[in-house]
Amino acid sequence: MKIVAVTACPTGIAHTYMAAARLEKTAKDLGHEIKVETQGALGIENPLSEADIRQAQVVIFAVAIGIEGRERFQGMQVIEVPLQEALMNTRGIFAKIRS
Amino acid sequence: MTKNACMALEFTFICPLPNGFHARPASHLAELASDFVADCALTNLRNEATANMKSVLSIIAADIRLSDKCSIRIQGPDEQIAWTTLRHFVGKDLPAYDVPLVVLQDQKSRGLPRFLRSAGVTAYSGQPVSRGIGQGKTVIIGTVEPPSREVPAKGLDRAWEEEQVKQSISAARARIENKMLEHLSATEAGILHAHLAILGDVSLLDKILEGVAQGYSAAQAVMDASRFFAGLLRQSDNPYTRERALDIQDICFQLLEDVSGPKLKSVVELKGPSVVIAENLTPQQLLALDRRWLAALVLESAGATSHSIILARSFGIPTLVGAKEVRDLSPGQEVLVDANRGFLIAECTAPVRKFYEIEARTMQKRRTSLERYALRPAVTRDGRGFEVAANVSSSEELTSVFQNGADGIGLFRTEMLFFGRECVPSEEEQFEAYAEAARAAKGKPVILRTIDVGGDKPLSYLKMPAEDNPFLGYRGARVYADHQELLCTQLRAILRASAFGRVQLMIPMVTAMEEVLWMKAQIKQIQHDLEAQRIAFDPSMPIGIMVEVPSVAFILDQLCAEVDFFSIGTNDLSQYFFAADRGNARVAGLSNVKHPGFLNFLQGIVAGVHKHKRWVGMCGDMAADLSHLPLLLGLGLDEISVPSSEIPTIKERIARLSLPDCQKLLMQAIACRQAADVASLLNRESNGASRSLLEPELVLLESEIDSKEEAIRELVDAFYVEGRTDDPDRLEEAIWTRELVYSTGLGHGFAIPHCKTDAVSTGSIGVLMFRTPIDWDAVDGNPVRVVILLAVRESDGNDAHLRVFSRLARNLMNEEFRQQLLEAEDRDAVLSRLTEELDRSG
Repeated sequence: MKIVAVTACPTGIAHTYMAAARLEKTAKDLGHEIKVETQGALGIENPLSEADIRQAQVVIFAVAIGIEGRERFQGMQVIEVPLQEALMNTRGIFAKIRS
Repeated sequence: MTKNACMALEFTFICPLPNGFHARPASHLAELASDFVADCALTNLRNEATANMKSVLSIIAADIRLSDKCSIRIQGPDEQIAWTTLRHFVGKDLPAYDVPLVVLQDQKSRGLPRFLRSAGVTAYSGQPVSRGIGQGKTVIIGTVEPPSREVPAKGLDRAWEEEQVKQSISAARARIENKMLEHLSATEAGILHAHLAILGDVSLLDKILEGVAQGYSAAQAVMDASRFFAGLLRQSDNPYTRERALDIQDICFQLLEDVSGPKLKSVVELKGPSVVIAENLTPQQLLALDRRWLAALVLESAGATSHSIILARSFGIPTLVGAKEVRDLSPGQEVLVDANRGFLIAECTAPVRKFYEIEARTMQKRRTSLERYALRPAVTRDGRGFEVAANVSSSEELTSVFQNGADGIGLFRTEMLFFGRECVPSEEEQFEAYAEAARAAKGKPVILRTIDVGGDKPLSYLKMPAEDNPFLGYRGARVYADHQELLCTQLRAILRASAFGRVQLMIPMVTAMEEVLWMKAQIKQIQHDLEAQRIAFDPSMPIGIMVEVPSVAFILDQLCAEVDFFSIGTNDLSQYFFAADRGNARVAGLSNVKHPGFLNFLQGIVAGVHKHKRWVGMCGDMAADLSHLPLLLGLGLDEISVPSSEIPTIKERIARLSLPDCQKLLMQAIACRQAADVASLLNRESNGASRSLLEPELVLLESEIDSKEEAIRELVDAFYVEGRTDDPDRLEEAIWTRELVYSTGLGHGFAIPHCKTDAVSTGSIGVLMFRTPIDWDAVDGNPVRVVILLAVRESDGNDAHLRVFSRLARNLMNEEFRQQLLEAEDRDAVLSRLTEELDRSG
């Protein structure tokens, strides 16, 4: 399955990237294809293109703050979780996906 | 000049002093007026208050503020000359007397550090005016007002009471004069001098005698006069003037002791470490306390410029003012005063003691860390040596100067010996001061700058003419020919001192070759005389000049043939270079040493001097600003001379710089379009380009700490010791602010507290590993073994640092990486594993 995700944390120094790493690793383990956009202190990195979003079946928001460009994902299946959950219960997040 | 009916002379003026007519301008005006027989009256037309101009108190009491219109009326036999002199003073010299005696930074009380707050400690806040930490038992001192019932109100016999008054004044005068014979600091001497001036004030005497004439006892009359003048001064809008009320009370209280016997004496005896608490304290009261036991001072209502506070600072007594409820404390209670942050802690509980023990240890570590650099010659990363010398204004500083690691005295401002006194210091007195400096330097160079007065530094007994533009006028070397005797006395004293160490002589404000040749001729003549008198001196004493006037920068070839060294005085050089008066707030900003043109000019000077293998240093404010350091190294200066307290941090910073980098930076700065670009260039430079994120000293293993609060404080303190933050409280607060959003315990025994704050000087990583895991409120609920603290600057966030942090954060999600860190055997292993990871992402 193709998945896109956005991570963002209050200072944008650590958790944004930890969550991204975690989502990428778990997706790979589960045989999914994922692209994670990080919105941190370095700005938006690995930005999701329109094509990325169009091709994906689901978007995961692992965020602790408001994010930029939320409107890009209108009409998609959205799974929004607290950032901490992406660190601890990553598989549980993927389990929420309606196939 | 207006002549009115009764033939008095009058003129009016508008008060030009932003701080109003405070003690300094008033005492100069009173001194001048006292030279004349004529009556001189000063009327403040705003409030109709008329002052006797021969009395300082009377002038101060007229409460003359900025822009008040005033008139001066002079009548008497020498009114003509008095009119000319006073008018001249008011019109030309008065503005120069604006700066109050001592300006203290208005420091606000800062809150309790997070560590103490979370331990439930409460504190009384107060404004810190003299830094330090003191602990002791409270001693509460009552008010300065003497109890009036103990004083007989009615006088016995007018002549007898008058005699009492006069005797008590001379007794008080004798006591102060005796005290002044002791070896006093300049601060203490200055304040005693001011007290003598009050004792000699005609208005005070008149007021007391007026009371006696009305039938009151001497004691009652003194008390009335004290209340009268103190009351007048307290009405002033100017805090500096208001605080002089206490000095009046102090003096009158002493007079009172003389006229009514010793029963009023209220000397408090301190037994053991004490924290003295009072509504206010007079200078004499403070001087009477046993300073061995005076751990701290807490005053409810003293202002930052009161003489007691100035004294407390000069004695290094931790002091708070404006602490409101402290008088509720009971005497004999053990308290702690933190005058670094601005509060008093009434209960020294276990966490308080622990915090200050840790802090004392941290401070000691920081000092040791700085001493490593301070007491060794400063060397850049690539091994280039650089001299860091001290600017000195008085002999009192000599001990601390060399403790701070000065490589010499780069500027001894000899004029300080000439200020604050009635006449020129004798050759002997000067010789003592210079020889003391030469001896204290123990073979290190001591650059004695010959007297530099005029401009912003007028000297009353030199009778300098008033000028329209003193900074472009008669000052520095320019006055020497007219004051040859004064100069030659100084040259003799300097030459004699040269026999006792590496003395070098420096001439201020040189404009042209003629001045140098003239000085050298004088020196030669004196050397000749000394030789004839068989008095020892160093015949090869180097002679140098200040580079302050731009003209000398263009005859360096010629000058290098005549002088041995140069020192760039940036304060004056920049104001002449930019044609902007540094005392004029409207244009002072133009005089910006970061201007690329000024840097280019400096580069030309250094190159021009080095072409002839001569030595060139820099004194002045530019040298003392840490952010300029890479530019100064890049210039290739041989030395910088700075206030000695700055030396350890400057030497520490030099050790992290490399000469080629600095040279490159200077070239970039000179090529910048404007000063602001140079400033941001320097900002980027200071933010880490030359400092790695992680150092061995920031990796703490086998920690026995058992709480999150303490662990964070421990890491913050390590940053402080290594000079990565100079505000550990703020850094701690920033970490906790983030921590409270949600715990940074990321699970698997790791926590990664982090923050963006300018409390750190550069991006930094700290590591702490516990012997026994502790609770961190982590997402998986497990205790934490490893804490990795990340801090990055907020205002000029360094992307390279952020990238390293994000990479590190990602890697912590990797079990293998975590395992390697957990299994690391020692500090080196942790460091190399992390460094490997950081370098990979760099």
